[in-house]
Amino acid sequence: MNRPPDAGEILQGTLDLLILRTLIRGPAHGYTIAHSIEQTSEKALEVEQGSLYPALHRLEDRGLVASEWGVSENNRRAKFYRLTPNGKKELAAATNRWRRMTRAIALILGESNG
Amino acid sequence: MGMDRFRHRSEKDRDLAEEMESHLAHQVDANLARGLTEEEARRHARLRFGNPQVVRERIWRYRTLPVAEGAFRDLRTAWRSLRNAPGLTVVALLVIALGIGVNSAVFSVVNTVLLQPLPYPDTQSLVKLVLFTPQRPLGGASVPEFNLWRQQTAVLREVAGYDTGGAGMNLTGGDEPLQLQGVHVTHDYFALFGAPVIAGRTFTEQEDRPHGGNVVVLSYGLWKRRFGGDPRIVGQTIQLDNTPYTVVGVIGRNFVTDTPADLWIPYQFDLNTRDMAHYFVASARLQPGISLEQANAQLKLASDAYRRMMPNAIGPQNHFGVIPLKEWMVGDTRTPLLVLLSAVALVLLIACANVANLLLAKASGRKREFATRAALGAGRWHIIRQLLAESLLLSVTGGLLGMGLGYASVRLLLRVNVGGLPRLGEDGAAVALDWRVLLFTLTASVLTGILFGLFPAVSASRPNLLASLNESGSRTGTGLRSAGLRSVLVVTEIGLALVLVIGSTLLIRTYLKLEGVDAGFDTHNTVTMAMSISGSRFQTSAPVAQMIRQGTERLRAIPGVVNAGAGNGLPMQGAFGLPFDIVGRPKGNDPFTGGAGYYSVSPTFFDVFRIPLVRGRMFSEHDDASAPGVMIINEAMARQYWPKGDPLKDRVQKAPGAGPAFAEAPRQVIGIVGNTRDEGPNRDPDPTMYIPLAQMPDGETALNSRVAPLWWVVRTQGDPHAMVAAITAGLREATGGLPVAHVRTMDEIDRLVISQQRFNMLLLTVFGASGLLLAAAGIYGLMAFSVEQRTQELGIRMALGAQTGQLRNMVLRQGMVLTLIGVVLGLGAAFWLTRFLASFLFDVKVWDPLAFVLTPLLLGGVALAATWIPALRATRVDPMTALRFE
Repeated sequence: MNRPPDAGEILQGTLDLLILRTLIRGPAHGYTIAHSIEQTSEKALEVEQGSLYPALHRLEDRGLVASEWGVSENNRRAKFYRLTPNGKKELAAATNRWRRMTRAIALILGESNG
Repeated sequence: MGMDRFRHRSEKDRDLAEEMESHLAHQVDANLARGLTEEEARRHARLRFGNPQVVRERIWRYRTLPVAEGAFRDLRTAWRSLRNAPGLTVVALLVIALGIGVNSAVFSVVNTVLLQPLPYPDTQSLVKLVLFTPQRPLGGASVPEFNLWRQQTAVLREVAGYDTGGAGMNLTGGDEPLQLQGVHVTHDYFALFGAPVIAGRTFTEQEDRPHGGNVVVLSYGLWKRRFGGDPRIVGQTIQLDNTPYTVVGVIGRNFVTDTPADLWIPYQFDLNTRDMAHYFVASARLQPGISLEQANAQLKLASDAYRRMMPNAIGPQNHFGVIPLKEWMVGDTRTPLLVLLSAVALVLLIACANVANLLLAKASGRKREFATRAALGAGRWHIIRQLLAESLLLSVTGGLLGMGLGYASVRLLLRVNVGGLPRLGEDGAAVALDWRVLLFTLTASVLTGILFGLFPAVSASRPNLLASLNESGSRTGTGLRSAGLRSVLVVTEIGLALVLVIGSTLLIRTYLKLEGVDAGFDTHNTVTMAMSISGSRFQTSAPVAQMIRQGTERLRAIPGVVNAGAGNGLPMQGAFGLPFDIVGRPKGNDPFTGGAGYYSVSPTFFDVFRIPLVRGRMFSEHDDASAPGVMIINEAMARQYWPKGDPLKDRVQKAPGAGPAFAEAPRQVIGIVGNTRDEGPNRDPDPTMYIPLAQMPDGETALNSRVAPLWWVVRTQGDPHAMVAAITAGLREATGGLPVAHVRTMDEIDRLVISQQRFNMLLLTVFGASGLLLAAAGIYGLMAFSVEQRTQELGIRMALGAQTGQLRNMVLRQGMVLTLIGVVLGLGAAFWLTRFLASFLFDVKVWDPLAFVLTPLLLGGVALAATWIPALRATRVDPMTALRFE
């Protein structure tokens, strides 16, 4: 497979955040979500289906996303996921956590000195 | 979410499959859009996507409880594996059911006797009042002692006296008089034991005083049986021994007493009496916050006061005290029961070894299966877990079967013989399945499963993939290690079985010795029966003697009756004990010359039992109240108290200073009779004195008639059972309608006396036989398996010219070497363990040479027989078939 050599393994737990962030633009099905994450990250992040679907189902169980079957842009049956109000709140909280953490890491790595 | 994620799993899985399909389709679309061919687009999409099955499994697993799922899968696999080997499974189940069954049976008896609390409220504070002596605590009570204990209110409350046996009373006024078990109690009795009153009330303190009136409390059973549960029974009058008694109350059905009672009547003690006869027992409750030690300290002080009040009543080294009631009731049955429980645990161990062996054999045939599984990625823990699941499934199923078996066998056993154990109820009715028995059986099953499952599991899971996979088939794959383990198990079985069989041999020998003990009289063709004479007619000695004379004459007139007589006790049943003085002999510091068993008997008593006269003369009809007092003693008494002198020249004062009821002049010793074993065949005969019933002091007769029945004894020409109807009818006719109860032949009593030993012997024999059988099965299984495994080798040996005899001997030698090792180890263990049986034995040493020589021979014989069949099979191996085996 032509996998980019420095393709990042998505950090455990961040996949949830990325999915929620993708869904803020509107309901989407699994393929679109994966594709969108890859495109937006300029192919730096690659989403494994083996991780994507378990993550989606986990989010659904936690009530952060809801799903229903619909028809895709290609005229195919697909399962569409959308953010629930709880999901929006979680997205805000998780984004915040992520910012704080990246800032902390940046401080430690000494970027503020530079 | 919560449990939601575990629901509708299959439905969600189908949904997910469709979702994957859809994802793939979109990927293909995207690839097509990039200009790939249809085929290329599909191929890339698949590659990109990976294995959809993995995703499904991952989500499926996310939706499961991993442990439960694993256990369930293990159990299902185990069930399949066991079903595939039905023969082995059935044998293993039977062995486990046997092992657990006998354990469950013995434990349910132990549970009933030792573990279950007494059926009374707040049993912790219930105590039995006793007299501590340097030898052992004595449980009898006299009225002055009872009065003293009642006054210790700082430490005791609800002090109650009650009969242990009960005199029996005749319910009259119906068509036929009916003999009932009437128990005398003091008024605190019902409160002490928390008896549930369902109608009326119990006795008041006033009713428990002398001349307090004739009142009676009925048991639930009697009330239902005899009075049809009449709701207006309270206040009615019933006739007991032709005397009217007023029913004041009825006790509920759940009230259990150690002496089953039909009715209760108040003792009505005269608390001022100085009468020192011990004829009842007393229990009480500790006052709240009072410990046993505090109560005992207080009672010890009270003993000193009592000694000053009643000189010579209790010895200088004796003092009163209390023992927890349950401890008193359980008494010395604790050790024998625990020994039996340990013995039966050995049976379970043998059963475990046996099943472990079976599973090892099965596992060694499955080596390739395990190796294949390991190669496919099953961890070692996985394989162990699965094998353990198999053995647990076996052991728990076997345990359930065993519990049923144990329950049935304990019923059977107790019906045959209760063996003098307390607290079991009639025919062991009190032995029930309760949570303790269930817990015990479950624990035993699980531990058993782990114990016999772990050996094969660990041995089979040993990672030796290549070797196992390379082996040509299942037949050559025993492997040295597993064969060695199996040999160790068989050796263990033989050793344990030997210990059990030696134990049972010792008990069988003890029982035979006990049966062989000369009772001192002729027990055959004699029948005994109890007659209650508690009515007002028999308060003095003359009418009792008159009634006995008439009854005896009437019985002798019956064809087939050789002789008849009566007494206030029976040989081998334990006599009353009384102190005595020899007139004119100095006593030193002791209050009395000595103590002896004591019977009052009619003149024909000795002749009925053929108790031999050694010297002097027997009683005659002339030894009545108007004649000088006489006494006959037994040889044991003569030997102990007249080692040199002549008893026939002496006079004896029985019960000196025992109070007015016993007051009488000294008696001339007129004869010496042979000993009877009154305290059981395993005890040396006690000194015993006999006096004529006609010469009893009236006060003593009055007391006796109230608290104990009169025993009729009859010798017949043939089987006494055939004569019972004629005898009871004759007695009823001669005594003005008095019924008799407790009809038993002396042979039956003889057997009853050694029933405890019989019980122990039967149990241990069953254990020994089971152990022997299991060990035989074990060695048979091992040798048969080994012959089968070595078919090829045997075939080659044969082809090379080995004689069949040589082959047979080779197999036999192998089996016998194992047996020999087991026997040596077993002998060593038995040498050490039989000491715990010492208290069971009579006239047999714990290292009885016969047991230690015969038993190994027996075991060797059985092992030889068990090895013979596989050995024979070895000689029938056809070399051609053997070599073509693969």
